[in-house]
Amino acid sequence: MSNLIASIPIVSIVTFLPLAGAILLVFIRAGSARTVRTVALSVSLLTFAASLALFFGFDGASGLPESVERASWLGRGLDYHVGVDGISLFLVLLAAFLTPLALLSSWRAIDDRVKEFSLFMLLLETGMIGVFVSMNLFLFYVFWEAMLIPMYFLIGIWGGRRRVYATMKFVLFTMFGSLLMLVAILVLHAAHYRATGSYSLTIADLAATSFAPGLQTWLFLAFALAFAVKVPLFPLHTWLPDAHVEAPTAGSVLLAAVLLKMGAYGFVRLGLPLFPQAAAAFAPALSILAVIGIIYGGLMALAQKDMKSLVAYSSVSHMGLIMLAVFSLNFEAMEGALYQMLNHGLSTGALFLCVGVLYERTHTRLIADYGGAAARMPVFAGLFLTAMLASAGLPGLNGFVGEILCFFGIFAANKVLAALAVSTVILSAAYLLWLYRRVMQGPLKDPGDTRLRDIGGRELACLVPVVVLIVFMGLFPGTFLKKMDAAVSRSIDAIKNKPAAAMTLDRAARPTARLER
Amino acid sequence: MSFMALAPLLAVVAGALAALLLEAFLKRKDHEMSATAAVLSLLAAGFFIVRSWGLEIGYFGGRLTLDPLALLLMAVFVVVAAFVILMSLVYAPRRDINLGQLCGLLLLAVAGLMIMVSSTDWLVVFLGLEVLSVASYALTGLRRNDRASSEAAAKYFLMGSFAGAFFVFGLALLFGTSGALGFAASLRGGSASSGLPAASAAGLGLIIAAFFFKIAIAPFHMWAPDVYEGAPTPVTAFLTIAPKAAGLAVLFRVLAPLLDRDVAASMLGPAVSVAAVLTMFWGNLAALKQKSVKRLLAYSAIAHSGYLLIAIVAGDGPGLVFYVIAYLFMNAGAFGVLAAVSGQGVERTSLADFAGLGRRHPWLAASLTVFLLSLAGFPPTAGFLAKFYVFSAAVAKGHVLLVVAAVLASLISVGYYLKVIVVMYMQDAASETSLEQNDPALWLVIFLCLFGVVQLGVWPGNLLTLIRQALTGF
Repeated sequence: MSNLIASIPIVSIVTFLPLAGAILLVFIRAGSARTVRTVALSVSLLTFAASLALFFGFDGASGLPESVERASWLGRGLDYHVGVDGISLFLVLLAAFLTPLALLSSWRAIDDRVKEFSLFMLLLETGMIGVFVSMNLFLFYVFWEAMLIPMYFLIGIWGGRRRVYATMKFVLFTMFGSLLMLVAILVLHAAHYRATGSYSLTIADLAATSFAPGLQTWLFLAFALAFAVKVPLFPLHTWLPDAHVEAPTAGSVLLAAVLLKMGAYGFVRLGLPLFPQAAAAFAPALSILAVIGIIYGGLMALAQKDMKSLVAYSSVSHMGLIMLAVFSLNFEAMEGALYQMLNHGLSTGALFLCVGVLYERTHTRLIADYGGAAARMPVFAGLFLTAMLASAGLPGLNGFVGEILCFFGIFAANKVLAALAVSTVILSAAYLLWLYRRVMQGPLKDPGDTRLRDIGGRELACLVPVVVLIVFMGLFPGTFLKKMDAAVSRSIDAIKNKPAAAMTLDRAARPTARLER
Repeated sequence: MSFMALAPLLAVVAGALAALLLEAFLKRKDHEMSATAAVLSLLAAGFFIVRSWGLEIGYFGGRLTLDPLALLLMAVFVVVAAFVILMSLVYAPRRDINLGQLCGLLLLAVAGLMIMVSSTDWLVVFLGLEVLSVASYALTGLRRNDRASSEAAAKYFLMGSFAGAFFVFGLALLFGTSGALGFAASLRGGSASSGLPAASAAGLGLIIAAFFFKIAIAPFHMWAPDVYEGAPTPVTAFLTIAPKAAGLAVLFRVLAPLLDRDVAASMLGPAVSVAAVLTMFWGNLAALKQKSVKRLLAYSAIAHSGYLLIAIVAGDGPGLVFYVIAYLFMNAGAFGVLAAVSGQGVERTSLADFAGLGRRHPWLAASLTVFLLSLAGFPPTAGFLAKFYVFSAAVAKGHVLLVVAAVLASLISVGYYLKVIVVMYMQDAASETSLEQNDPALWLVIFLCLFGVVQLGVWPGNLLTLIRQALTGF
């Protein structure tokens, strides 16, 4: 029986179920928007259910990838090789959790070409999950690039007024980085062949191979560029406010919650383990960029008049903190960064959903057009406030746990940068609470305005799960952290020990070594 | 030595004659008899190609040899020609193009191409090149009452004659120094240290220039956009794929052994690399500002010659053939959609004509999107894998900077390919012009191309193994 369960290719199911749904959608008549929406939502819910099965079946004690599937695909090391470990599991869950909510949130907002919209959303989901489960660099790149196409359409067709400009900028920025990463992948492929005599693009194999420092520098820079654009790291962030502001709500949610995480994930999964010396050499420079991003993003958020661009700049700031933690290269910071990636995904996703709720009612995103909305929308006000406080890092909510772990790690690595980075707490509290005061509190802007109805069933179904999870992750972080521990400490050990030639340490002993510390 | 080696060629030539004679004598208003004869002869040629697989048969004292490279490319030509005929069944009569003549000339061009790729003898290659050229000049000018078409034909003829003269002069120099007409024999180094004799090098340079003319490599590509734009759309599809594939195959046969010789490579390698970079950037940058989709695709075809040239620099035969096959599907498909959009009489090929196509003809727009994404090199399409293999071979040979240039060039190309998609999906049509929908042959071509692009991008397994095994010697 357990053999039977173990033989189910659960990771492939989670990855390709949305794709199958998208193919199914092709054959549904475009006229019946309701059927299309229902099918898309059911498929994404099924995917989420499958990802939960992945979560509950996940052990995580070894820190090694689990549910691994491997098949020969194109030969010469270009294999189909997927699996999840403590680092990628939660990002898969995040993507699978937010896609149905994003679909639900656009139930009414998207009227035009519903079939195409749902199709691209499902394709995007396959792309996002695929990036996180890939254990082969080639497969990773395929998903990484393929995912651009649905996002390009989502922003370009259903976006705001400047959507074409925003979507082209998004694609060209991202591709600039990732094409150079492609060259780096090719060089790695050739270098690994020269070093070992066998073709392989398996990430673990590449991480076990030592590359010359000069080569490492170039390769790391190519990878870092691709990831830094995606994160986005200052000064490569300029595509983000445009893309966020122009994208439809569902696009913004997934962009902020999942796509940005790919950059950070790329550093954790590839940038650091493959090129540890180069990463260590560039960590100070990248840390400084991250700190600039934290402060710059926070200040820019304070100055925004548009709610969406405020949340977008807050993402620049928060992602800066995550990157700073990643470059601190220690256990606490890394685990905090991973946890904070999930938190940022949930709270920023929730904030975009909230902005979407308001926009659907009034068709304006300008802060100045609102005032006193809480009086009319008390339930919404509570949910909005929770998401906001989570984003600002209030104790008891998930953001606090992540931030405190990050700060511990960052402080251990560099006290000056830590001191500067703490400004994010003040800044985010300032711009978020100020936003809340201007939009939700005070006197009603227009007492005769009947458009501000409180949220109902569908919107509640959208927001409540996120908020519940925000609270749960704030109160019981252990549920999640204990599944990450082993993988993170393995990863950190691997990065720290790679310079030493001996890679034959007893791997099973490492998690316990951490506990003793 | 077997007469069978001539079978594919004879089948095609017989088809060409049959098509032309049927057209001349039967005086039917519809020329579908000719088209049927042409398709049948292509099927026969395909049959003989498959039968000759793995036999390495030759004729004329080995001057015509059906080695795997030749057979693979001949199969490509047969498929392209079949696609072009199917695309023309409705397209040609609507534009007063004589379908019988088109089929006959097309098959003659295919015969020329087959001769080119199956020989390692300069004179035989020249013979094939001339057969191809004469047929393609006539094909370009088939729309006799259209000025652009006639102008394109005249331009093509003049430039082609130039290239032909270059070829013959270069050949004279090569033959004069070496006394041999075979590729290898004529390029044998004078002494091991000095590479080629000066006259041989000059001759080789002239011949390479002639081929660069034929396959539209910068800076010898000036004729290409006008010719590609002026020719009837199915013919353009043919011209952008088949002669390019043949020219590259010949270049590969000539250059790959030379690039392995250190002395010759030190001179040739950089020259070809520079040409490749120039072509990619020139083609892509020029395509950026085009207002006509046909002309945009013409420049994109030039840029793709540059990517293909990288395969030659890297000496990667399998990569070259795979790229050619992928390119066949994506380019034929894109021109197929173009033929479907351009309506009765006038050619509708400007960007504005594609506005709102995603709403008016979702399937057509979706197909063109896939073809364009493949041309741009997005995974999981054939175009991505093709580029991946070529670039990977180049990196393995140490040409990292060349590959960096190539990926930057393809970043530029993303700009204009996506521009077409923007117009189709993100702008609304100025006028509600609906298209003729009853062209099953054209739909078949587009569907097959779509299938090819996706299949080669996701699961190219068998074909890839076949090519790699067949070309192990290259």
